[in-house]
Amino acid sequence: MEFELLGEYLPLFARAAWLTLWVGLTGIACAIVVGLVCAVVQHFRVPIARQLVSVYIELSRNTPLVVQLFFLYFGLPKLGIVLPSTTCAIVGLAFLGGSYMAEAIRSGLEAVDDGQSQSALALGLTRGLTLRHVVLPQAVALAMPAFTANIIFLIKETSVVSIVALPDLMYVAKDLIGTDYNTREALTLLVAFYLVILLPISLGAAKLEKKVRYAAFGS
Amino acid sequence: MSITWKRLASAAVASALLLGGLAGCGSGNSSDNDTSTNFHTLEEIQSSGTVKIGVFYDKAPFGSQDSTGTFVGYDIVYGERIAEDLGVEVEWVPVEAASRVAFLETGKVDIILANFTVTDERAEKVDFLNPYLKVALGVASPTSAPITDIAQLNGKDVIVVKGTTAETYLEANNPEIKLIKFEQYTEATSALQDGRGVAWVTDNTEALAWTLQNPKFTTGITTLGPQDTIAGAVTKGNTTLKDWLNEELLTLGKENFFHKDFDLTLRPVYGDSVSPDDLVVEGGKI
Repeated sequence: MEFELLGEYLPLFARAAWLTLWVGLTGIACAIVVGLVCAVVQHFRVPIARQLVSVYIELSRNTPLVVQLFFLYFGLPKLGIVLPSTTCAIVGLAFLGGSYMAEAIRSGLEAVDDGQSQSALALGLTRGLTLRHVVLPQAVALAMPAFTANIIFLIKETSVVSIVALPDLMYVAKDLIGTDYNTREALTLLVAFYLVILLPISLGAAKLEKKVRYAAFGS
Repeated sequence: MSITWKRLASAAVASALLLGGLAGCGSGNSSDNDTSTNFHTLEEIQSSGTVKIGVFYDKAPFGSQDSTGTFVGYDIVYGERIAEDLGVEVEWVPVEAASRVAFLETGKVDIILANFTVTDERAEKVDFLNPYLKVALGVASPTSAPITDIAQLNGKDVIVVKGTTAETYLEANNPEIKLIKFEQYTEATSALQDGRGVAWVTDNTEALAWTLQNPKFTTGITTLGPQDTIAGAVTKGNTTLKDWLNEELLTLGKENFFHKDFDLTLRPVYGDSVSPDDLVVEGGKI
């Protein structure tokens, strides 16, 4: 291991880490919005939209992100739609993550016992108040582990965005290996940077899960 | 709290193991006598009955797969002849530009015949044979907006394949060009067709071959950068195999093998636009 090389590569990796984080977090934010809409549509059994959502969820969960990105970046231009790399990556993450988020939120909503809302209504709470004070806090608590697992999963999935020529961590590492052949140094920094990004998120998520668990009835 | 600390501790242990492991490989690799397990000597290859040759699978007419999956091209004809003269079967291993050195370093292939341009950086990591082709860089661009001078590329998006001499050359000599890098040749050409860059810089042989097959594109600059040579390569320190292969090049030179190879694989693509003497190196000597 040549330590001067690590120093030399550090700025390159730092820049790539920002891109990884930026693309990852933007993609996740979009995925949460998509997931929320889909979960609500499914929970309240909105006709037609519900079928469309099921088709989307199956399509998104049963195709790899690399394939989705390939389609967006290399496939769509054949139909005359040329999206920039960043857009492709964010749309791809939102497309993949949306279905996972939808399932997480839906499972939370469905896990709240029906007796809870019935009791709340019987005690005179309105439907809105029941949702806000009784159902949602419990649903959020129940969905939180799946939700945070999805966030970590999606950040890790960003490691394939280099196929659409986005200079993320993986792209920089492979590029350095391909031009300088300093495989060890590049791989070490690659692992270190993913840990630096993901460990705080992972630990924060564990804390968050604990914090919201108070709301889960009976646990 | 305790869970958090446990996780932190296990992450720290895991990272330490990983870094230690990587550093460990480092010290093993740097001493020359330790790499003997990383390659197969001439005798080992001949007694095993198979030689593993790393070739391109998406770079016609040098190395590509036809519709039946058979490997074809200039490098393949050379490889087949090597296997024949070694008296062994050949196992083709598809490689990408950026992974060619790694394939040799880890002993996953015995020989690389993948349009491998000889450079000083690469020569530190692998042992090159004597050359069998000459090459410079070429610039492919749309016929409707041809690039005929390197200055036209300043500040523009230009496509390259990772780990190629085009990437290294442009980064060193034209840092004002914004490079869009792909791992595969098909991705690079696809990106050029989709207008994701104003040009694709690669070996002139590849640029010419591709633009001749894709008339909407032209090789506006046919020689850029220094004249380089292309050679086969073996794992660093595999001298028995290297010496045999260089000897083989002399034999092949006597029968003008690479001119025949050119007629067979390159002439159908280049026609008369390239003279074989501009590309081919016989006997390993320029």
